[in-house]
Amino acid sequence: MEVAVRKIGECIERGKVNRTSPYPRDMLGQDGSDELTRQALDSGITAEAILQACNEGMKRIGDKFGRNEVFVPELLMAAKAMNAVMSHLKPYFQTGVVKTKGKFVIGTVAGDLHDIGKNLVAMVVEGNGWEVVDLGVDVKTVKFLEAVNENPDCRVGLSALLTTTMLNMSKTVMGIKSRFPTTPVIVGGAPLTQKVADEMGADGYAPTPQGAVAFLDRGAGR
Amino acid sequence: MSLVEVERGKDTFEVTMDFSDVMADRGEIETTLGYKSGEIPVHFSGMIDETLLQLPIRCEIKGGYRLLDISLPGGRSDGVIIGSRLFRTGPIVMTQLGKASKGALFVCTLGPLMEIWARRLLKSNDPALGYIADVAASVTVEAATDRLQAHIAEQMHSRGLKITNRYSPGYCKWSVSEQHLLFSLLPDGFCGVTLSESALMSPIKSVSGVIGVGREVRRRKYICDRCGVKDCTYRAMRAPRSAKKAA
Repeated sequence: MEVAVRKIGECIERGKVNRTSPYPRDMLGQDGSDELTRQALDSGITAEAILQACNEGMKRIGDKFGRNEVFVPELLMAAKAMNAVMSHLKPYFQTGVVKTKGKFVIGTVAGDLHDIGKNLVAMVVEGNGWEVVDLGVDVKTVKFLEAVNENPDCRVGLSALLTTTMLNMSKTVMGIKSRFPTTPVIVGGAPLTQKVADEMGADGYAPTPQGAVAFLDRGAGR
Repeated sequence: MSLVEVERGKDTFEVTMDFSDVMADRGEIETTLGYKSGEIPVHFSGMIDETLLQLPIRCEIKGGYRLLDISLPGGRSDGVIIGSRLFRTGPIVMTQLGKASKGALFVCTLGPLMEIWARRLLKSNDPALGYIADVAASVTVEAATDRLQAHIAEQMHSRGLKITNRYSPGYCKWSVSEQHLLFSLLPDGFCGVTLSESALMSPIKSVSGVIGVGREVRRRKYICDRCGVKDCTYRAMRAPRSAKKAA
């Protein structure tokens, strides 16, 4: 049983989606996260155990990404393998058998259309057991406020790639904090630093998707 | 193949360029993805091959520029006057354009097809290919803009003038909101590029900005050391090879 679960985690880490997937080369022709998850559930392994293995697999690939040992394409393959698992686990979430860790509202701030970094964070966070509410790109403060209002226990993540949209990010952080002072807000994106995040009044700064997971998992800001 | 320039109005030119005019450098794509030369996994290298096949089909490269008088305002303003409009460029750009007598406001775009393809892949079953297509498009639009800039340099050289580096709103501490001002000085829908309310260009794979022109100006090899933004996209792209890792 342990071996089966560990294999799923390895498939996540390596981005092995299914048997026909040509990636990675050294796993050609082997079952991927898709088949292994189905087999695991059929053999009585719990959805929680599978999810835990996925979280560990995502953490390992996220850590490698943080150390520049792998890059965005590998992370996207891992996320794809994770999605294959989630398609099998979805019914367990819907019935409440498996609970998510909480809700994470994410969006790219107003004035910025870049979504790849934001999507990566969303995928990795989701792969670590959080329910993600993705507001998209060019998101104005009012839309974030509506989302927090609808999801009162959520955490919020703001993304920006353009240096000049950091001003909008700062306004959004202030807007959220003034109306929902206990809602944790984390910021990320190429032009940001911890110092800038502190000046904005954000609760956290994550230079990598795994950094965002670490922030959420330790319940920061709550 | 040389570029073809057509005058669309007073000192306003549109430039057509074929994909063969633009060198979409494979090594640059790999580096931008993060990999060191020769270290990209075979699977992703194959995706670059696929993208390189799609680029000539899906790129409709257009460029253009308008030449306008440029001057420095009096007082303490951190900006330049281009065509009677004050651009608050901030000190970095202002210093670089200070000796220019003309400003070439330019736009260069790949058109929408590459980004539509990349976005579809990102949302569908092949996000890694979509990401690589997106990065390849970014590298290509920069290469196309390099080509446009080289063309402007040639045109100005024939008038006995030199050019500066190119500067874009959104970088070098020049607010992206000034895109509206920049586009107000260009014909409507110039090169097929329009602006959103948030000052972002559509198609996304477009570059706009200003190049200083004059007898006393010069083009610098690397100016990113003048700016404090360490993680800027351009800083990484423009860094000398030896400095890329650190950038």
